[in-house]
Amino acid sequence: MALLELTDVAAGYGVAPDILTGISLEVEAGRTYCIIGPNGAGKSTLLKVICGLLTPRAGQVTFAGEELNHLRPDQILARGVCFVPQDRSLFGDMTVRENLMMGAFLERDRARIAERLERVLTLFPALAERLPDRAATLSGGQQQMVALGRSLMIEPRLLMVDEPSLGLAPRLADQIFRTIRQFPDLGIAVLLVEQNAVKGLECAQWSFVLDLGVKRFEGPADEILADPRIRELYLGRRVPPPDDDGAVDVAPGEAN
Amino acid sequence: MAHAAQVLILGAVLGGVFALMAAGLTLIFGVMHIVNLAHAAFIFVGAYIAYLAFSGLGIDPFVSLLITVPALFAVGAVVYRLLFPRLEGTPRFTEATVLLTFAVALIIEGTLAWTFTGVYRSTTPEYATDAFILGPLFIPKGQLYASLVSIVLIAVLWGVLYFTRTGHAIRATMQNRTAAQIVGVNVRRTSTIAFGIGLALAGASGSLLSFLFTFYPSGHWQWIALLLSLIVLGGMGSLRGALIGAFVLSIIAAFVTDRFGPTWSPMTFFMALFLVLLVRPHGLFGKPMEV
Repeated sequence: MALLELTDVAAGYGVAPDILTGISLEVEAGRTYCIIGPNGAGKSTLLKVICGLLTPRAGQVTFAGEELNHLRPDQILARGVCFVPQDRSLFGDMTVRENLMMGAFLERDRARIAERLERVLTLFPALAERLPDRAATLSGGQQQMVALGRSLMIEPRLLMVDEPSLGLAPRLADQIFRTIRQFPDLGIAVLLVEQNAVKGLECAQWSFVLDLGVKRFEGPADEILADPRIRELYLGRRVPPPDDDGAVDVAPGEAN
Repeated sequence: MAHAAQVLILGAVLGGVFALMAAGLTLIFGVMHIVNLAHAAFIFVGAYIAYLAFSGLGIDPFVSLLITVPALFAVGAVVYRLLFPRLEGTPRFTEATVLLTFAVALIIEGTLAWTFTGVYRSTTPEYATDAFILGPLFIPKGQLYASLVSIVLIAVLWGVLYFTRTGHAIRATMQNRTAAQIVGVNVRRTSTIAFGIGLALAGASGSLLSFLFTFYPSGHWQWIALLLSLIVLGGMGSLRGALIGAFVLSIIAAFVTDRFGPTWSPMTFFMALFLVLLVRPHGLFGKPMEV
């Protein structure tokens, strides 16, 4: 049985029309998945639906055999689904330590919390010396580390990360991706949304391709980039900059 | 010199009570982005409860805190659950809360007027008109006690916010609602508790107000104007700002009263508000925010 299963999910904000329609997908435990697709494809919305920040209008979200549709975000988190949003959503006025400790809000066992904090600091040694500093004073890369570290404080079974490389220098982004690649070893399934498709797919085994709120197709991550349908999808909407540094999805010269 | 010291004392001993009133209002705004125009009306509910307890049962206003604090906490939790969840997620939430709490204030005012008539009330424990004499200076006992109790209550609030699990949830929700949800805070439950605490502080302020000032059902409008100017001045949602603002303005108002007469005292608050906002549009300790 799949760890996470979505069946015909539709969702949208307020009274606006659906952003997602008929989304069905499966996520297995301990593997990494990358969702790619052009801007406005509904990638972030999909993650918000899974973690309960947005209630689906139709369809079913099940996690480990249990339906999540009508659970609150804290109840879904308690079942092991953790979300790191695009803006990182840190507590800016709290220290780095307080931010990490807030990640373990649902855990009451102090010994276990201390153990996890230690593990997070092993994973992100740069954070150890910033523990007493206010989160808002950190650089973008370090803030992303705090966001990821905070999510590990709850020992999630599924970790969803929205655009981890957003606004980061390539070197820092690489560092973040290297860390994300270690997550499956910790027994965590990862669902990644990444605008930088090349980088995202390098981390993943499987990929879902979204466009205009529907899942176009899916497949093994290493085959997806070579799929001719990808070029059609992206090139129709976006003109990549001439000096492609890997930040765009498909270099113009390759389209053929 | 002695005269200036005397005026300073009179201002400072009222500052604590203003701070207590403002703390509840700024907490409610900080956590839920609700502008509670009924805050002073709830303070008056506390004052009338203290009045009933005092005149009917001979209960001292300070002892009445044991009634007003839990009673108003319960009222807060119920009012929050009844009125606000259905507004959540609407694009003009804060604006809607202004209208909603305005209506709540009118309902409270009407109910108080219907129950207690428009007569000026106050409780009259002995210490309300007594004072400590220190050479050329005097410290009014009632105001001193009220301020000390206020400071203790604010310290308790601070302890709750920084050293309890619920407090962490409240502070997390104040700083970033989405982030709080992401780490597993039940923001609706937290908001309910925070609104309850905010009104519990209003209830406590009511017990203290009952012997410091006279009150009548529609008098709360003057108070809410003053309290709003206090928390806007300190930076809306900033507890520290509200406390410092309360003490500073209370002292300035005492000097203005001394120099120009009591009529000008309320104006002190609004003048200070204009001046501060000219220099710091987000208040002394506030931050730019999206609503």
